[in-house]
Amino acid sequence: MSSQNGALHARVRDIYGFIQQNLYLNRPDLTVGEERFNSALLFSLLTALNRGKQIIIGEPGLGKTTSAEYICALTYRFPLGLIWASEVSGHPEQTEEKIIGRPDLGRLNMGEEVVVWSYFAQLPVKIVDELNRLPETKQSMILNGVDRGNWEYLNDVIINEEYCLFATANYQDRGTNTIIPPMIDRFDVMVESRHPGANIALEIGMKDRYDSILRDRGFERSFKELLLARRDYDEKVEDIERKSEEFGERMADVLEIAMLSREDRRRIRAAMADIPFDLDANAFLRTVIAELSFCCKFGQKRSEEDCDEGCHYTNFLCYHLANCVSNRFPISVRTYSQALAWMMGETEVSVEHVKAVLPYTLAHRVQWKDDYVFQKQTATRRDPLQIYMARQAVSEIYRRYNEQNHHIKSALAAAYHVYNGEEVEPVEGDHPIYAEIRRDLEERS
Amino acid sequence: MSNDGQNRDFDSLLRRIWGEVRKKHFYPELARPQADDQLDDSVALEIKSKRIAVNRAFLDEMSRNLPMETVLEALLDHGVTHYTYCPWDFHTHLQLYQEAKRILGDKDMAQKSSDYFMDVVADTHCYKTKDTPLPELYRNLGGGELDQVMQALYQRIWGEDLGAGAEHEEVSRKLSRVPYLDRGSWVESINRFSKIIQVLLEAERDSGELDKPNPMGQSDFSRYSSEELSEGLKEFAMSSGEPGRFREVVGDFEEELSDLGLMSSSGMGEGAGSPLDADLLYYMKLAENYSIPVRKTPLEKSGDQYPYGHTPWEAGKPYRDIDPWTSFGKIMPGVTQIWERREGETHGEEESTPNCIVMIDSSGSMVNPKQYLSYAVLGAACASDAYLRNSASVGVYNFSDVEAGGRRLLDFSRKRRDIYESLCHYFGGGTRLDMTDIETFRDEKGSDVFLITDMQITNLETLIEYLSSMPNRITAVHIGENEHVRRFKTRLQKRSNLSIYSIQKKEDIPRIVLGKVREYLGRV
Amino acid sequence: MHNPFCDFQSYQYKQSREIPLDRIIQSKRKTMEEIIEGYLKLSEKEVKEMVWLVEHSRIVKAYSAAMETVKNLDYDSDDIEEFCHELDKGGKIPYLISGPAGIYVSALCNNAKEPELHLKLFELKRTFHFLGYRLPEGKSLVLEGSVGDFIGTGLSGGRLVVEGSAGNWTGAGMVKGEIVVREHTGQNTGEWMKGGVIRVGGHIRGIGKSLSGGTIYQRERTVFPDEKDAGSASTSGPTTA
Repeated sequence: MSSQNGALHARVRDIYGFIQQNLYLNRPDLTVGEERFNSALLFSLLTALNRGKQIIIGEPGLGKTTSAEYICALTYRFPLGLIWASEVSGHPEQTEEKIIGRPDLGRLNMGEEVVVWSYFAQLPVKIVDELNRLPETKQSMILNGVDRGNWEYLNDVIINEEYCLFATANYQDRGTNTIIPPMIDRFDVMVESRHPGANIALEIGMKDRYDSILRDRGFERSFKELLLARRDYDEKVEDIERKSEEFGERMADVLEIAMLSREDRRRIRAAMADIPFDLDANAFLRTVIAELSFCCKFGQKRSEEDCDEGCHYTNFLCYHLANCVSNRFPISVRTYSQALAWMMGETEVSVEHVKAVLPYTLAHRVQWKDDYVFQKQTATRRDPLQIYMARQAVSEIYRRYNEQNHHIKSALAAAYHVYNGEEVEPVEGDHPIYAEIRRDLEERS
Repeated sequence: MSNDGQNRDFDSLLRRIWGEVRKKHFYPELARPQADDQLDDSVALEIKSKRIAVNRAFLDEMSRNLPMETVLEALLDHGVTHYTYCPWDFHTHLQLYQEAKRILGDKDMAQKSSDYFMDVVADTHCYKTKDTPLPELYRNLGGGELDQVMQALYQRIWGEDLGAGAEHEEVSRKLSRVPYLDRGSWVESINRFSKIIQVLLEAERDSGELDKPNPMGQSDFSRYSSEELSEGLKEFAMSSGEPGRFREVVGDFEEELSDLGLMSSSGMGEGAGSPLDADLLYYMKLAENYSIPVRKTPLEKSGDQYPYGHTPWEAGKPYRDIDPWTSFGKIMPGVTQIWERREGETHGEEESTPNCIVMIDSSGSMVNPKQYLSYAVLGAACASDAYLRNSASVGVYNFSDVEAGGRRLLDFSRKRRDIYESLCHYFGGGTRLDMTDIETFRDEKGSDVFLITDMQITNLETLIEYLSSMPNRITAVHIGENEHVRRFKTRLQKRSNLSIYSIQKKEDIPRIVLGKVREYLGRV
Repeated sequence: MHNPFCDFQSYQYKQSREIPLDRIIQSKRKTMEEIIEGYLKLSEKEVKEMVWLVEHSRIVKAYSAAMETVKNLDYDSDDIEEFCHELDKGGKIPYLISGPAGIYVSALCNNAKEPELHLKLFELKRTFHFLGYRLPEGKSLVLEGSVGDFIGTGLSGGRLVVEGSAGNWTGAGMVKGEIVVREHTGQNTGEWMKGGVIRVGGHIRGIGKSLSGGTIYQRERTVFPDEKDAGSASTSGPTTA
């Protein structure tokens, strides 16, 4: 790691440590290498750095929203009050005007169509609280913005070049809706914000709220004035960055912690993107995708098609799946594995990073068949069922990969040569990955 | 060097070697190993709750002949391969032990045989697929007769000179023919392995050396987490096929499993819990394989209107729903927009699930659930679990010849243990019901009824008349076809609140039962 | 189009190390396939429409054919025991007819290199007939478990031990050698016996009617020739304990 990269790495670690010690008290529940992390906090940090999209589930009052707020404040240098003001809360009366923007009524009366963009649309940190309380039609309304950072209103558009999105969701109860499938698939990761246990909960209860250290009324006012100014959005973005730099300097004095600038984040992302996958991580991920998308009878998994009992691949996960995993899935795995490897100070993404990230990128994207859910739901576990089942699935595929890794890599190597037209014997085996390789070779142009 | 200094050096060595071993084995989810001075001198390592503990004294002893790094790496390779390859999970462990016990007939011998078998499998796999110093370790390990046989075996199947003498030529030759690396044949392989070393084990037993620890660690249950143990028992209940086979194995380890909290009904609001017998545990675990998910709150129209979208306002429409924002402050056709409101769809109130009376026939014509797998008990258990998971209570009426005292009644309860005890009770007598027994289940809201029987009931007519008069939802499951069944069907099949299922294969019972319960409970 | 496997272009396929275990198992599997193939050929030839009648000429013919097959095979006693297990399992062997199967196993035993053979058959579900057929001098065969009919038929000098019970026609037509049955035998024990010794540790349901030589002991007692008729060539009636 270069010295500059090393310095950034240390600062990100400091941010994690600061939040963990002072703001978001919870147990570590994820081991990577020899370090223990709290999954909600770790993935929130990676999401913020990575321009990712994260859904946080959990019981009410367990820090779903606050964890995201703290991360956003420290990684983007915004006072907490501004983040609160920009949050969109999920309720049925939400409208486009409240979420995205509204016409400037004064100018409208003079015949000019000018949009007053919401804080939510303008700021690079976006938090949607209780996404599943938004009716489905409202969810569709923000789909494009969630996906690409494009916010349109009255024939005007602003594009967020850099943004991260956090959405919280309670478990289903009276008053919640389902999150529409196109929406849920756009999220990179799903984590649970858990109960911290009786002892830490008491500590939280006994302490005064500490997050006021991230507030500054003066700066909050200044930011709001900036955001409300009737100016070109791109110019505002620069002003916001300058203002956040001032805020960051102030916080560095008060908290003795260095926050991240836009340039810092850009460098971090560049460093992350530069981390290559080692061959095993690469092959393992292909194995995972194969097992989650393959169907020997119908060519691929489809939600409306159910394969028979007695299929040759009955013991593989493709048999237990009701849908096909999307192409967003490997993108999420790649970016978060690289982010995690960078976080661990590694020069390559290994199977360990991929394995750590997979359950969280997979949990919200797969639909299991009922029988498979039946078998798993009574198991003793600490994860919520979706994440637990994803973790078990990854574990199963990992075992198969562990036994066959040689063979799989050889199959891929042989396929490279066959694909180029060389006379090489393809390597066969009993796993969907071999079938997929065979198909790629048969169907190449 | 001071003790602290030595300890620091060792820790640093352990950390380095562990990093290399982890990478070699693709990052198994095991905690960093620790040194443990409490282990028996002759034991190299132990695995407890997914953490490897290495014996410092053993390491020091071995490092007289070998570099410490070599010994450490070999031990860690061994420990990790047990986790990543064999036995992999608790279910596999139990299956191997079960087969060894079947051949050897003795718990301690079976444990030892399965320990050694798993060692051979794990170490051979590691030797074949990774770069490992295991041969060097075995060359210097020593040990009793059985250990020397293993050394001779490794020498033969790895092709490495481990210094084994010719005295174990014949037995190692026989052992070398076992396909250790064929996972699908492990059960058959341990069968042969146990037969071959049986004589040696008997000699150790007779000379009192059977409890001498395996230098490469014992494969006991403490290596697994409680979740793994629970899951393993569930899978083992499925694969063992009969309560007797399950009981035999689980009974052997009742003490160990009790210490780990798996043989009690704890976790059900009973404090520390009272011990379960193996038969109850069998049906409980087996039923877990067939569970129904908890019903999600159903979607329904909420009745509340909420703003859905905009439509153009037309002259003559009321003003009250005008949206001033989207209308740009103007009221004129073509510009002004009004809110269109629609009824919301939200998750509604969850209907409560009625209680269920399970009527189970345990007369002589039915299978004794303690001897053979009783699909009637299994079906009743699955239904009971389904109701319990949907926050309902279950009452049990276990009947045989009621007039001779063959009845067992359990009032509505949510205590799983009590329900299972009532279901598993077997009278084996005649079959005669007393309808007044059913009256004792008082439930103002009316409960569902589940009846499982082969219909060879002496007072079947009385039962038919009674069921005809019941307004409750009734599911009757019968095994086989006979004239009593035909009579039952003829009289009752037209009733809308009653479903009759004929089971041709006993394996259908859990599916049928669950299908009907799913309907009742409105599974999402 | 971009080659989707280019990440692996320089991956060198390294065979995972081949160890002697692999060769041993491969060789063993090959041997078993040959043994099974031999048995299937014999069955096909000998069995017409799945019926095989127990006739002397048929038995002799089957045995000759079996010996002809097995003499070219390279196997040991462990292979024979495993073959018995394969017969019992039935997976690779589509049908089993006890007569030819037993004769084939006997041919394997008689042709084996080892003078002493020990077959653990106690956990098999099926029982085999004709085990120990024509066991020659110098050979010892121990069968652990209970066995079927016609055990030790035509014994030719070998020593046959059954650590269990035997069925009917034990030692039928034996010429010389010794049969030891630890538990019981069925009807027609020693029928057509010409010489040799049968020792039974438990009950004998019935002695054969046409014995011309040899001795049968039940526990310590001589039941053939009958003590009263010692020296006589004829038999006494069936003796039960």
